[in-house]
Amino acid sequence: MDEILELSRSCVTAAPPPGAAEYLNFCTSLREHLHAAWESIVDANAEDLRAIREKGAPETLVDRIRMSDEQLAWLGRLTADVADALGRLAPDPVHEAGPLRVRRATRPLGVVLMIYEARPAVSVEGALLPVVMGNAVLLKGGTEIAATNRALAPVIRAALRDSGLPEHMVHLLDNCGRSELRTLLTRGDAIDVLLPRGGPSLIDFCRTASRIPVIASGGGVNHLYAHHSADPGEVAAIALDSKLSEPTACNTLETILCDERALPSVADAIVKTAGEPCTLKVPEQFGVTGNDLVTVLPLADVDLGREFLDRTLALRPVSGVEEAVALIREHGSGHTEAVVAADPSVVQTFCREVDAATLVVNGSLRLHDGPTMGLGPEIAISTGRLQVRGPVGLTALTTTSWVVEAGGTLRASLDEELR
Amino acid sequence: MTNTLDEAALAVVVKQVLLAESRLRMDPADLRDDEPLNGGLLRVTSMGFLGMLIKLEDVLGIELPDDIFVGRTFTTVDDVVQAVRGRVA
Repeated sequence: MDEILELSRSCVTAAPPPGAAEYLNFCTSLREHLHAAWESIVDANAEDLRAIREKGAPETLVDRIRMSDEQLAWLGRLTADVADALGRLAPDPVHEAGPLRVRRATRPLGVVLMIYEARPAVSVEGALLPVVMGNAVLLKGGTEIAATNRALAPVIRAALRDSGLPEHMVHLLDNCGRSELRTLLTRGDAIDVLLPRGGPSLIDFCRTASRIPVIASGGGVNHLYAHHSADPGEVAAIALDSKLSEPTACNTLETILCDERALPSVADAIVKTAGEPCTLKVPEQFGVTGNDLVTVLPLADVDLGREFLDRTLALRPVSGVEEAVALIREHGSGHTEAVVAADPSVVQTFCREVDAATLVVNGSLRLHDGPTMGLGPEIAISTGRLQVRGPVGLTALTTTSWVVEAGGTLRASLDEELR
Repeated sequence: MTNTLDEAALAVVVKQVLLAESRLRMDPADLRDDEPLNGGLLRVTSMGFLGMLIKLEDVLGIELPDDIFVGRTFTTVDDVVQAVRGRVA
């Protein structure tokens, strides 16, 4: 492991600065190599699928790690989007301070350790976005995708080599068990940033057990506050889109906090307009009945603060925006919170009082992602408060150096001027 | 620490970790042993096992082997409790 860490550091030093043509080349080269090796990647992925099935994993989990043509097409689009975003990066800002010309130069963060328990496409994302900003990356994926990652490693290395970048900028850590991971988390001397993408236990562990700065892609316990001034049909449309377009995403909706007087009509609109199967959890006293597509279940106390990770929506009555804000503060994870209201003062109160990475007003919670918000490709959505909050785009994977062009200016002469 | 950890205490620790992973705020004592790991209440899949095992190791002060879940099927809370118990006994 020491050798890998040293190699990674030397790659950061050897790599060209952000903005160099090699990074654009890498986007193209990675896309081409993925296409060329796709058959072998899918074959390796079949091994992972077989192994996880033998362990009795549900089909939803099997689907989650599957590499299909759909993933290839998506990765192709991602490489194109990243190339496009690279072309749009603003030049380093410069300002003048008296006789000084001060430039903020973009620098890579350094060596990034990404720990993830998710889809193998994340391995490619992890190899792409940090690298194009000059970072070296250590990728620690789950054992469920070990064979797929072994197939991806030479593909990524070849793409790096062909684009003129150090071929060891990316390491897919094979045979990295928990004890090795623990050791890595103590190596603040060799690793600059942790990027965990996984369950609450993993993120909590990274935050508490390591002194290496964390950009955490935490889960989303997300709410939609529906004020009685909103049209029930619009509330239903926003809620269903926020959940059913990707029920397990981190920016999906879990709980609708609805003004009590509007709840019956909102529940009715949801039941009537849902075009796909889903479950609505609502207090029994409202007497909501479902239909062929919508299963209605009683809302339990433990449902607040949950990520259902399926097609379930909770609908809870509130007395007004104040109670909604209080519940969001108690149960929310600071990821995505939304309000639907025709009354501008309610929107104003909500946006002032609720603190989350992104607040959506009168729209779907699923709008919270980098490309949709016009911020370019993202590697995660951060719920942390430092370095980056919300979409973690390319510039969030960099730091800066201040370059002071002084032209011979001395501090003493400046002090003299001030006197 | 584990030498003195009785069966009930071990189950409580495992349940606390499972509840945290599912973002549930409830008393571990109210979590049934036969509660499905991925059902109406808990939402725990193997994708969360890495973090949970690290957390369990921390809380219990032990090192669990990497192959702890190999050859086992985990469907209920008790499946995890038994797997961990077999390693700390």
